[in-house]
Amino acid sequence: MIFRTINPRTTTRPALRKVRTGAALRPLQHRLDPARVEEIPFRAADGVRLGLTRIDSGDRDRPAVLILHGHTASADMFVQPETRNLVDVLLDGGYEPWLLDWRGSCRLPNNETGRKYTYDDVALYDIPEAVNHIRRRIGDRPLFVVAHCIGSLSLSLSMTAGLVPGLAGVVSQGVFLTPKLAGSTSLRMSVAAELLKSRIDHIPVDFRKVGLWSKYTPLFALASRKASCPDPTCQILHNSAWCSGASLFVHEQLSEATHNRLADLLGPAPLWILPHLRRIELARSVVRWHDTDYRYRALPPNALDAAARIDTPVLLLAGSENGLWLDSQELCRDILARRQPQLDVEYIEIPGYGHLDTFLGRGAALDVFGHILDFLGERR
Amino acid sequence: MGDLNDDASAYAGARATAESIERGGSGLGVNDLLAKVMAAGMPEQTPAEPKAAADVAPAVDVDTLAATIATIAGRYLPEQHLSPDADFFDAGGTSVHAVELVAELERELGIEFDLDEVFADARPISLARRWAEATGNVLPAPTPRVEPPPAATRLPAAPATPYTTAGREDLDQILADLALADRLPFTSSPEPLPPRRILLTGATGFLGSHMLLDLLRHSDAHVYCLVRAADETAAATRLGEALKSYKLPWSSEIRRRITVLPGDIRQPHLGLSDDLWNSLAHELDSIVGVAAAVDFLRGYHSLRQSNVLGALTLAELAATGRPKPLHHISSVAVFNEVGITAMGEDDPLAHIDRLIAGYDQSKWAAEVALRRARDHGLIVTAMRPGGIGGHTKTGAYNPQDLSSGFLSAFGRFRTVPAFHYLNAAPVDWVSRTAVAVVCEPDAWGYDYNLTGVPNTLDDVVRDMAFGGMHVRVQEWDEWRADAVARLQSEEIPELAFLSRVLQSPTALKLCEATIKGPAALDDRTAALVEALGLPPAARYDARAQLKTFEKLADDGLGRLPQKDDRPYLWFTETTEGTVGEFGRPADTPCSMALTLSIASMHQLVSERRVDVRGTLTCPAVHAEPVTVERGDIVVRPDEGIPEQHGLRHQLLSYRLELVDADGGRWWLDGRKYARARRDVWRQTRALTVEIGREGESASLKGEVVVPADSYVRDQIDGIKVDPRLTSQEKRAAKLTWLAWFGMEMGKGMLGPFARVAADLLDLRRTTTPTERNR
Repeated sequence: MIFRTINPRTTTRPALRKVRTGAALRPLQHRLDPARVEEIPFRAADGVRLGLTRIDSGDRDRPAVLILHGHTASADMFVQPETRNLVDVLLDGGYEPWLLDWRGSCRLPNNETGRKYTYDDVALYDIPEAVNHIRRRIGDRPLFVVAHCIGSLSLSLSMTAGLVPGLAGVVSQGVFLTPKLAGSTSLRMSVAAELLKSRIDHIPVDFRKVGLWSKYTPLFALASRKASCPDPTCQILHNSAWCSGASLFVHEQLSEATHNRLADLLGPAPLWILPHLRRIELARSVVRWHDTDYRYRALPPNALDAAARIDTPVLLLAGSENGLWLDSQELCRDILARRQPQLDVEYIEIPGYGHLDTFLGRGAALDVFGHILDFLGERR
Repeated sequence: MGDLNDDASAYAGARATAESIERGGSGLGVNDLLAKVMAAGMPEQTPAEPKAAADVAPAVDVDTLAATIATIAGRYLPEQHLSPDADFFDAGGTSVHAVELVAELERELGIEFDLDEVFADARPISLARRWAEATGNVLPAPTPRVEPPPAATRLPAAPATPYTTAGREDLDQILADLALADRLPFTSSPEPLPPRRILLTGATGFLGSHMLLDLLRHSDAHVYCLVRAADETAAATRLGEALKSYKLPWSSEIRRRITVLPGDIRQPHLGLSDDLWNSLAHELDSIVGVAAAVDFLRGYHSLRQSNVLGALTLAELAATGRPKPLHHISSVAVFNEVGITAMGEDDPLAHIDRLIAGYDQSKWAAEVALRRARDHGLIVTAMRPGGIGGHTKTGAYNPQDLSSGFLSAFGRFRTVPAFHYLNAAPVDWVSRTAVAVVCEPDAWGYDYNLTGVPNTLDDVVRDMAFGGMHVRVQEWDEWRADAVARLQSEEIPELAFLSRVLQSPTALKLCEATIKGPAALDDRTAALVEALGLPPAARYDARAQLKTFEKLADDGLGRLPQKDDRPYLWFTETTEGTVGEFGRPADTPCSMALTLSIASMHQLVSERRVDVRGTLTCPAVHAEPVTVERGDIVVRPDEGIPEQHGLRHQLLSYRLELVDADGGRWWLDGRKYARARRDVWRQTRALTVEIGREGESASLKGEVVVPADSYVRDQIDGIKVDPRLTSQEKRAAKLTWLAWFGMEMGKGMLGPFARVAADLLDLRRTTTPTERNR
């Protein structure tokens, strides 16, 4: 009953969809000097509003680093005020950080109420256009990319399509060319999502926004099974990420402040993205969704087969306890070493870290960002 | 570790030479040798002495002999100098150097010192005095330079006891050292706030370096690391090297939160300038003492500077200036008495007169001295780890740690001694819990056993069987004798220290007490861990040890079963089919008779690899059968990801190296594929092969198939298991293999079908329902 779409009482409601999050970008939450944070109005070629932020270091000669967040996260995850974050470390290390909020950002309304997209759009429009925009601004200074999760997966599609040539180096966290999920996660994603998709279109993470009694209540209840933490948002991210059974982070790596802010850092996950994600995951390689739409023909049908087009050193990072993508990065290193031995690919495992906590964890600066600085420093 | 071997054999050689000299009655007397060395070795330092030695022929002054020993010992030290009353180990000598030194003393002086004597007290003056007492042909030393204990603390003559007692000289020294705690200043209680500026000693050690990182991760404190080095640059380099060697990060992000202080725990005021000492005394708000000399061979005199006086210096710093808590890493060694009944956090410590090993004595003395310091108002926390096992995530371990040595010996010899409990916990848990105590004011001032959940003998045997290592249990004495014999015959350089421990009478007492000791109880620690929401102690089991074991094997300490060992499990596989040249029909018959084997389950889980031997019969290759020299089968290579975009998933890959009867070398590459087609049974048996000469591209291709009727007969009923195992172990091995292989094949076959099913599901229309919450 709880999943019924049309309630007799609601038939009288206006047909207009209620837009709960505004069309404009939610403000970035940071503790930087506001004068140094430059928000750039930025739209992709297909008209979707995106967010691009430049952190001004006061120095015009620094190499630029474009940072890509994961799906349903946002640039907030790199500037979080409560811990030493990646932007702090890059600024101190002599770089100029650029933050892109691609269309899957929770600072944008797309996931919840906006128009549908696939990762093809991210790879074809968002990332290449952001790179081109930054290139126009920085001239011939080197440009690095640090990418997390789906940001990194989409970047791999852009790179193998040859849409972002000449990067100075790429740091990929969590997953790159060979996504691999646990069997149970894959099963839930394929089957359960198929049953739900005609009833709901996204899975929220913030209990406060949907209330105690809603059609999402059973999902929260499901996610709370055998959970050790009583916070429902933590349960639906840590214990069972959007009810998929995966775990996004190692609980004790987060500071209390970050833990309390999880609902700001991660947003609802749309269900209509799942067919593309499922196709990618079952193939264990990044594949294009649009096979018949010629607008997307610049993208390779299978990014792993096109990996020879990668023209930049790649650092693959992953937490040893990654509860979502498991050992995808190690697998990627092994496969690229065998199939594309000419590529400069390095893999570093962060012991004791999960997926999101490699950027959000309170010790991330100590355990993770040092590796990123080392990699960038050798190639700047 | 490589040089250890050379040193050990050099030592053996030198010892043999010296023994032969003694047996042959070498013409040279001790004094002649002495004179020779002193004339050659130290003419400018003591110009008068050679003459004196030559003149007073029969009687050699102990001081002179000590000076000579000191000169020789000085060659092994970083500073190239040792004063006669300084400890060789304290001055930077290592166990390896001690072995060399003994050999050198034999060669140059003809005096044979027992290695254990050197470990027990490595001051040249003591060695000289002992030699004098043993031989009785020299003048007694005019003034003994040992610090005389106050008369009041001297022991009365010990009555005859049923247990082995500590040396009289050691006990006197311990009592004298305990009295030093009474000189500490009185102090008031520190502010109960999480620390902001911490002094950490021992940051280059195994536990210390892990604690440094945990302190940085779990507090906002700035950490001052006291590191033994000449200057700040050298100290930072040394710290960085240590962290990297334990697979810990060392980056600018870490350097910005620490200050490296070159100093020395054994020196007054830690070897720091008065200004620095004073400013530290007023600025620091917490002191964590991890530094200790962990050496089970050395005696109390050799260890007291680091382990007891060092702790007292930290207590002095804690009590001076601003009051600050002192967190002292002690050890369960304080209970290490043979026959002790309980090892709870508040149970009485061992009887000091029954502690034999110098390490146990020194840790006892330090903890008891700091207990006295509590009466001066100092907040002292004593944390007692037991064995500190390797990191569960990185596998970093302490190569000089006894438990690593035992672990690798267990795996190598496949035997374990019948111990009661192993009180060991992984370093990540010990470090995290210790740091939680440092950062939590309510936890300060108590004693904690950081021993985790003790492993029983049963647990260990079961764990090792789970890892495919079926061990047999022996009595301690029998095990020790066997282990010593095998360590000597097999010459494993990385385990030389274990061999030395197993032959040292004092270290053996330590081992015996450890083996026969009860389980350590950790009620207070467990309560704290629960209150702070930390990960509770878990048994240090096979899974937790896996990384460490792999690293031990990589470093040569441990040993994993290898390709050339007797296989753990094997069966035969026959295939028949045809091959032909490229572009021609495949009409030449080709058959293979292979033996598939695995050396351990670890090989399957980590590499997914099966070893292959056997023959290939194919007239197109050679008229005679061709031998498979070596070969590997990889199960589900690359997680089954297709080689080309498509639905042909990889199931198995064969890579064989072949030698024909004329010595010609060939390779064979075979693949089994999973496709979304209904001939599933055939897919699991059909192997697409390519054959070529070594170094050339493929010349033949075709398909060979395992006959359906031979499959069950050969590959299920025909599985053979190592005959040394019991029938229960054999059955378990067979079932494990079948379950693992069946799962992998199931997963592999499912891959393409799941993709096809998903494609069909994608034909459904995706509606976007009007989104309302309720």
